[in-house]
Amino acid sequence: MASFARSALLRQTLAPRGTFLQKNVGVSQVVAFHASAKKQILPPLPQTIQGTMNDPAPIPETHPSEGSYHWSFERLVSVGLVPLTIAPFAAGSLNPVMDAILCSLLVAHSHIGFQAAIVDYFPPARVPKFRTFCNWLLRAFTLTTAVGLYEFETNDVGVTEALRRIWTA
Amino acid sequence: MASLRTTSRLIAASRPMFRPAFARTYATVEPTPSKQPKMKTFKVYRWNPDQPSEKPTMQSYELDLNKTGPMMLDALIRIKNELDPTLTFRRSCREGICGSCAMNIDGVNTLACLCRIPTETKAESRIYPLPHTYVVKDLVPDLTHFYKQYKSIKPYLQRDTPTEDGLEFRQSPEDRKKLDGLYECILCACCSTSCPSYWWNSEEYLGPAILLQSFRWLADSRDEKTLERKAALDNSMSVYRCHTILNCTRTCPKGLNPGRAIAEIKKMLAV
Repeated sequence: MASFARSALLRQTLAPRGTFLQKNVGVSQVVAFHASAKKQILPPLPQTIQGTMNDPAPIPETHPSEGSYHWSFERLVSVGLVPLTIAPFAAGSLNPVMDAILCSLLVAHSHIGFQAAIVDYFPPARVPKFRTFCNWLLRAFTLTTAVGLYEFETNDVGVTEALRRIWTA
Repeated sequence: MASLRTTSRLIAASRPMFRPAFARTYATVEPTPSKQPKMKTFKVYRWNPDQPSEKPTMQSYELDLNKTGPMMLDALIRIKNELDPTLTFRRSCREGICGSCAMNIDGVNTLACLCRIPTETKAESRIYPLPHTYVVKDLVPDLTHFYKQYKSIKPYLQRDTPTEDGLEFRQSPEDRKKLDGLYECILCACCSTSCPSYWWNSEEYLGPAILLQSFRWLADSRDEKTLERKAALDNSMSVYRCHTILNCTRTCPKGLNPGRAIAEIKKMLAV
């Protein structure tokens, strides 16, 4: 009994110290992790300057389908999604055509969003192969999503009805 | 004269109570009450290209704020004059006109000459060069690519038709007003180097400072190459890497709004 009490006492007195030590170990582990993380993702290359100091930076080719047309289309899709998301629930009616438009705009919107991330983070000058791979992966995912949504719309209840059921469930 | 002033200051400092008011002349100085020294620590990024194998370090300097001017540039100049002459930084006008002393002070890109030293002496001030730039030495970044990009937007009036009277190209006051908020940019690169998109894609993305200047020439009623200028920007990288993060507008030491200029460019290109 006495030994039991003593061990309990010991445990009590040691407990805070034990947690303190554990905490410390955690901190040092984190520090060690950060200090040892020498493998950066795409670390900057040594500086290179194209041409002489006085040459202007090269001007890229005009490409409206990747520039202004792309931007206008992206904004139209984003703006169009707002009423399309609200309308079926506000009107209380389920129209398969509206559902189809909503789904296609959603797919286009997410495709453009992920594409922007790929363009931002995988410059073709640094990682040309991985960039191409990511682009094809994104296309595959977009296609799969589109096919899945089509199946869901035609063979099941559809997106808006499913959302309504989840909402009221 | 100088010696006279020092002696009078010495007397004034030692016996301020007994100095009669009528004895004041040109040479006297208002006696400064002896203050407690306000020591503040400045941590400055140091890297020497002559020792390329050594990693960059933060070096601490302590200054008495009572003897230092109010701005960060005053502190840096005092460190260079009195503590460490090897400290390297750019400065010229000391009043926010030249844009030389752009650096990252306490986490914000700004001009050292326009940045007040925080009077809180317990907290140290940390001074770094502009982020994501190639450092030449200490606080001096390499802005070659930035200037090359500036050159690529043809920052000058392009016009083929002469005026009827052969005099200068005139502008209505309304058209001139469109350039307000654009022409004041001093190209200090604070905004561009605060932009994450410019950090990742500075090779091709022009960045807020250059796009502000781009819009300055697009908005100019006298310029006749608007179509060419727009065509040069109409691609995926030059403008559209801007994701309206608005670090540029937040950090601009001149209080300009590059984010709005980029939005105007996007509107011009879209229509």
